[in-house]
Parts: sequence; structure tokens; C-alpha cells
Amino acid sequence: MEMTGASSVRRIMVATAVAILVAALLLVAIILPAEYGIDPLGSGATLGLLGLAQDRPVALHSDEYRLDSADLVVGPYDWVEYTYRFEEGGSMLFSWRATGPLSYNLHSAPDGAPPGYADSFDAQESDRSSGSYAAPYTGVHGWYWENQTANPVEIALSTAGFYSDAHEARDRVDGYHPLTDLRGNKVLGK
Amino acid sequence: MAARCVARRFALMVVLGVLAASVVSTTSVEAHPMDARNAAFVQSVEGVAFWPFLYLGAKHMVTGYDHLLFLVGVIFFLYKLKDVVLYVSLFTLGHSITLLLGVLGGLSVNAYAIDAIIGLSVAYKAFENIGGFERVLGIRPNTKVAVLIFGLFHGLGLATKLQEFTLSESGLVANILSFNVGVEVGQILALSAVLIGFLFWRTRTSFLQHAFMTNVALMTGGFILAGFQMVGYVLFS
Repeated sequence: MEMTGASSVRRIMVATAVAILVAALLLVAIILPAEYGIDPLGSGATLGLLGLAQDRPVALHSDEYRLDSADLVVGPYDWVEYTYRFEEGGSMLFSWRATGPLSYNLHSAPDGAPPGYADSFDAQESDRSSGSYAAPYTGVHGWYWENQTANPVEIALSTAGFYSDAHEARDRVDGYHPLTDLRGNKVLGK
Repeated sequence: MAARCVARRFALMVVLGVLAASVVSTTSVEAHPMDARNAAFVQSVEGVAFWPFLYLGAKHMVTGYDHLLFLVGVIFFLYKLKDVVLYVSLFTLGHSITLLLGVLGGLSVNAYAIDAIIGLSVAYKAFENIGGFERVLGIRPNTKVAVLIFGLFHGLGLATKLQEFTLSESGLVANILSFNVGVEVGQILALSAVLIGFLFWRTRTSFLQHAFMTNVALMTGGFILAGFQMVGYVLFS
């Protein structure tokens, strides 16, 4: 397995020492500052590497902050769709509870998509869901709920985030809901 | 003349070391961060998903530079295909055992510790390649056993990483097996590329000239990986 040709003991030891030294130097001077923000030599600051190690938990949005809460009733064997308009990257926190089980999906469609197009992200059966959502593209994003029981089901939905209008759609009926701004004033979507 | 030659070789080595370092530093804290999308998928899977897990296993191996560096070290002086197959089979046997036992038995070790050991395995093999054990320490560790043992550690690393996700119980065994098959596929792909490179390189006289320095660079890369993970262990464990 070993090399042919003479490698003197001295050469091997020097090479190993150099390998350890170079590894230690690169680690301390470059990799630790860039990966962990540990900068004992100050080289990370000098080379501008420290920024690489910072987590960025903050995402800033220039769009208006909106609040929305809606109470929706889904009749027996009926459905309702409730969507928001987002710019790409816009996000919201959401939570909804229903008085009975619903088959639902959280979906979206980009601007210009053909009618009926939907990317579905969370499709299941439940009486509740909470979480956060970040729009992968500009378009409409929201829920489709279907009541597969013989009793009406009420949904209480609450969201907050960077969307510009709220749209409710049912069979043969649809319309926009007013949103609430930071001061609690109603703002009309469309 | 001699001094200039040494200086040039040292410069080459530093360049290789920096290359190795840049490979390390362009990736995130873990040696094999699973892509966020892949991770979300793995956690959402219910039941058997043969192709996705096979793909992830192969991707893990092809993009896992620590495994690749180790394999480069292992096949550096293996000229016969028969030997390549033998050693790689030993490595495969080792990591298959711990991957399966690890995930199925819930055996999990600290990811930083295991990655540090994997880094040291690279340095170990490179040190052996430059004749360190034989000439300096006067010992001749069994290389087949060493490769098998390091295979066990590499598999434990894979198992630990897979277990960071809450994998669904349904289809678990089949999915782990698929992942392992993917690891082998990825290994064959990566090895083929490395072997082709070696075949060309070995036809040149520069191969033996630079073999020593290349292994020193490999050793440097191994130490960097190990140190990087050890610091991570201290920070986050």
C-alpha cells in the first residue's frame, strides 16, 4: 500500500507537521470565522468573512402589514375557497379551527396560470391547522375547504402578514373581504 | 535548486490545502447538510419510496466530500481493479452494517463527533500512504481491517444524519435499504470518476513525483475536516 521510493523518516515527519500546521492555520484564520463566527486572529473581520457565519432570522418586507380574521360557514357537501394575494416572498402566520372535520388543501397559483391551476402544499383532512407560509411566487395563495359531512361546519380563520387582498369563492358566489391594517382600520382589498 | 523545488512543492501543497478548505467552507455546518427541500420531503414520506431514497443516498455519496476524500486515499496506490473492488467492498460492508443497525436499532451518535472521526480517517489513510506508519512508527496496521472499521464509522455517520429526521415507521426498512442501495450507486459513480482520473494521472511520470505531496494535501484536508467538526462538537453539543 505504501509508496515506493524512499521517503525518509524526517521528510514524513516534516510533511505531517506541515499538514497539521496548515490545517490549523486555515481553520483558525478562515474556516472558524466563516462558519462559526469565531475569530481569534481578527482575520475573519479583515477579510469580511464573519458575515457568512451569521444566521439571519429577520426577513424584511416593504409591503403593508395586514391582519385578517374571517368566519366562514361551509354547508353540507359544500366547499369554500379563501385566498390572499401575495407578492413573491411575502409571508404570513395563520391559524384556523373548524367545528368539524374538513378536507382541505393549502394551494397557490401564479399570475397568468390557466384557470383551475393549483400547486398544492398541504392537503389533508383535519379540523384545524396553524403555521407560517411564504409565497413561492406572485399570485393567489390560500385554502380550499370541503365539507364531506351532512352538517354545516364553521371555520374561524386568523392570519397576519404581507398580502394585499382576501378573496372568498363559492359556487356561483365570490367577493373580496376587507383587511385590517396595523391601527385596526378596515382597508379594502380590491 | 533543491530549495526552489521544495518551495514550489510547498506552494502546491498550500494551494491544494486552500482548495480543500474552500470545499469545506462553501458548505454549511454539517458535512452533509440535506437540502431543506429534501429534508422536508423525507419527513413527509409515508410508506415505501424506493427511488427518492435511492436518489438521496446516491446524492449524499457523490456530494459527500469526506467520503470521497477517504476513497481517494484508499485507492491511491491500488493499481489492480481486483484490489479496488476488494477494498471498496470492505468499506461498503462496514458502512452498510452500521447504517442498517443504526437506523433500525435507533443507534445514534453525535454527528460532529462522527464527522470528526471521518475527517481523521482521511488523515489516517493519507499518513499511511506516505509511509508514516511503517517508516516513522515502525508499525504496519492491517489496511483491510482499517478500511472496514472506518466503513463502520462512515455508516454510523449516515445513520445519525438520517435519524435527525423523524422518519415514518411505515416503509422504514425498505426506505433505509433504498438509501443504502443509493449510497452504493453513488459510490460506484464517484469511484469511476476518481479511477478514470487516476488512470490518466498514473500514465504520467508526475504521478509518483506528486504522490507524496498530494497525500500530504489529503492529510491536510482530513485534519481541517476533523478540526472543523471538533470545534462544532464543542460549540453545539
